[in-house]
Amino acid sequence: MSFLAPIWLLLVGAAAVPLLLHLLKRRIDLRIDFPAVRYLLRAKQDHRQRLRVQNLILMALRIMAILLIALAAARPIGWLGGTGHVPTALAIVLDNSLSTSVIVDGAPLIERLREEARGLVRGANSSDRLWLVTADGRVVSGDRGTVLDAIDRSDVFPGRGDLPAVVTRAAALVRSAQLPGERITVLTDGQATAWPRGVDVGNIPLSAYMPSGEAPPNRAVVLAAARPDRWTPNGTVVLRTNGWGPGGDSATYRVALGGRTLARGTMRANEEAIVRAAPTERGWQPGSVEIAPDELRGDDARYFAVWLGNPPSVRLDATAGSFVQTAVSALVGSGRVALGADVDVASADAAIKLPALLTAPSDPVRIGAANRQLERLGVPWRFGARRAGESAAHGDRMEGVTVALRYVLEPSERLGADTVATVAGEPWIVGGERYVLIASPLIPAGTSLPISAAFVPWLGDVLAQQLGGEAGRVLALAPGAAFRPPHGTTGLEANDGQVLPFDPASVRAPMRQGVYFLRRGPTRVGAVIVNAEPEESDLRRLSDAALAARIRGRDVSVLRDAGAWRAAAFAAGNRRPLGTLLLVLLLLVVAAETFIARSGLRRIRRT
Amino acid sequence: MTDPSITAAAPPPAGPTRADLLDPAHLASLGRIEIVARWVVEGFLTGLHRSPRKGFSVEFAEHRPYMPGDDLRYMDWKILARADRWMIKQFEEETNLRAALVLDVSKSMDWTGSPDRLTKLSYAEHLIAALAHLLIRQKDAVGLVRFDDELKSVLSPRARSVHFYRLVRTLAEPHGGKAARISEALFRAERMIRRPGMIIVVSDLLFEPKDIDGPVKSLRAAGHNVGVLQIMDPSERALTSAGEAIFCDTESDLQVSVSVADVEDAYRETVEHVVEEWRTQFSGAGVEYDVVTTDTPFGVPLRKAFRVRENLP
Repeated sequence: MSFLAPIWLLLVGAAAVPLLLHLLKRRIDLRIDFPAVRYLLRAKQDHRQRLRVQNLILMALRIMAILLIALAAARPIGWLGGTGHVPTALAIVLDNSLSTSVIVDGAPLIERLREEARGLVRGANSSDRLWLVTADGRVVSGDRGTVLDAIDRSDVFPGRGDLPAVVTRAAALVRSAQLPGERITVLTDGQATAWPRGVDVGNIPLSAYMPSGEAPPNRAVVLAAARPDRWTPNGTVVLRTNGWGPGGDSATYRVALGGRTLARGTMRANEEAIVRAAPTERGWQPGSVEIAPDELRGDDARYFAVWLGNPPSVRLDATAGSFVQTAVSALVGSGRVALGADVDVASADAAIKLPALLTAPSDPVRIGAANRQLERLGVPWRFGARRAGESAAHGDRMEGVTVALRYVLEPSERLGADTVATVAGEPWIVGGERYVLIASPLIPAGTSLPISAAFVPWLGDVLAQQLGGEAGRVLALAPGAAFRPPHGTTGLEANDGQVLPFDPASVRAPMRQGVYFLRRGPTRVGAVIVNAEPEESDLRRLSDAALAARIRGRDVSVLRDAGAWRAAAFAAGNRRPLGTLLLVLLLLVVAAETFIARSGLRRIRRT
Repeated sequence: MTDPSITAAAPPPAGPTRADLLDPAHLASLGRIEIVARWVVEGFLTGLHRSPRKGFSVEFAEHRPYMPGDDLRYMDWKILARADRWMIKQFEEETNLRAALVLDVSKSMDWTGSPDRLTKLSYAEHLIAALAHLLIRQKDAVGLVRFDDELKSVLSPRARSVHFYRLVRTLAEPHGGKAARISEALFRAERMIRRPGMIIVVSDLLFEPKDIDGPVKSLRAAGHNVGVLQIMDPSERALTSAGEAIFCDTESDLQVSVSVADVEDAYRETVEHVVEEWRTQFSGAGVEYDVVTTDTPFGVPLRKAFRVRENLP
């Protein structure tokens, strides 16, 4: 037996009062003239034995009453007897991830989990502390009514959430309450991907409820992406579907862009499909890949965004070299670039303006002039020492490219560029705002890049994606995920055109899946794509043992019987409050004391 | 002829209520003892008239004013015709009874458990006065013996009306001895009435049973009808004090410290036991015995005492 308020055990000392009163000879000041003293004396003599026994019994009952009061005030809890349950810190972890919105037996699974959670909360009393923790990390604490209300209002989270983190947080909450009863209860669909890692709850008992039955079949769009992000205006949409269970090996899809269907078709599950397009729309456009609806609607569509624009126009300087001239001609021929004045392609010493693709001059004597021109254009790099000797280049699409002649690129004080490729650990191609600088002349004597197969596509991407227009970003996020918006962004534009202002210091992705555009004033400067994590579509469930194995703790149980699960919630080691029992005993003792003090012994004697 | 001062006494303010059934303390506060005795007897006799007792009186004794409920057969129509007064003729049995009233005036009698009640002695004196008045009205000779630790007063039996006032004055004589020596009082009473008569003892009986046992048997052997009225305060029958106290005997140095809550049941049992012992003892001796508490209307003990009288010719 233990006590919730042991300080009240000090009252036990008061039990000495009746004992002292009984043992000590009391001083009686009241004197009464009474003619029939002889009767009084005779009464005392005749009933001496009875009065003595009565006094002893009364003293024992009074001491017992004080002891019971002290014990009841100390709020004992024990294994024997008692009613109700000990004050319990109970955290209810409700898995409201996207997978729980699946329709099972005609109703969303989350409804069943909510109903079980309500039943559990109704069994709590005012001495318990309750928390509702959902998979999206939201915590609601309060009395029974508050938590019931929170359960009613808990919506399906359109993503995976983080159940291990949520359980860890629940354990911390329960531990902080320091109540004699502690319990974490988890209501989950047991989805295997929702428990990607183990979690340790220590000494806090945990009981998980997982509905019986197998996971329903499901098909989902797990990939929908525009490549590249900027279409000028050609581009591709890459998509992939997954499927489990009967009928999950193929899916009929529809690709839409800007509200217009780009393509329809049927594809095998777990294989990628590519849809090429050159839409006539311009600017940022939302797109989606959808499949036929099934029991889990939340993953039947996936979203992407793309920027559509005209091909950049290029002013080609003769100092760029013949290989570059040939490549640009090929790009012009394929429509990916046009001849014009938007982007300069020239040797650094001959460049006029930015944006520009700049190469090292083929004549070493022009290096000084090139550096002066770089300074004038505001490019924070300078050509340094000349390096001769063949070395391999490293970078995107740079496989097999060698460099025989290069100049060391030395950053100036205003460094703000990205290294695109390196040679011998040193920057070889760097890119920054409105420029790309190559530290070698694009001639075979300087590097094999202009004669490699990847050169033309690489050049096209540089001209179209990096130099051809204002850079925009596409952020692919899970619902509610935190992100850092690009500098200068002022708001997030929803599908309906409404702009949601945000605090750039702490921004979270919207909870609803879809395409949102980053706004800088009236201009769209990027897109936020909110999609559920692809693994959330895999509804396959863990076995009881597998789930129990992922939750480490002293007392972890996984139950499929809701009644047993509810009963376990407040068991707390089968200890119960003994206060009511003690109060009943106290009433009995007081009643016995009253009975004996008044007429008990007399009646007993007569019978 | 009746004493005019008695017949002229005003009825108690309670109107139609019979005085013998009123609260004793309230009644005693309304007048002197002889007046109260008169009211009590009047009420008592009214009650008797309403009951169909046979042979109550056979010879005319006196007149009294008509009271509602009186039998019209006893109306004196001549007085009504002559003086326009409604008078009732009262009759009495012809008797030569001699009665002795023995009153315990020891200190234990001068006690009450509540200021709202008469002391046992005051109650007994009112009862003695009423009894004497009743007997004298029936032309019985009534004597009085008062005693405590000695004989305080001895008044020989007389049947004249004026003797009632002498008896009342005797009741007011000093008293308050620390013990009750009843044997001498009973012996004196026997000597007073000589031939077989009636002896009524009024006492709280706070003495040893053997003190009265022998004298009473002696009285019975001499042919006297004996009645004993034990006067008790209600607080003596059942303890009413609360808490713990030292109870001091009023007649001796005896002291008992008790908690009332602890002994009240035992005390009540003991008193009942004592009363039963007295009843057994007196019953064995052929003595009428009753317990009267001081909150009992005077009519009740008067009827009990009168029952002793009825057993005589």
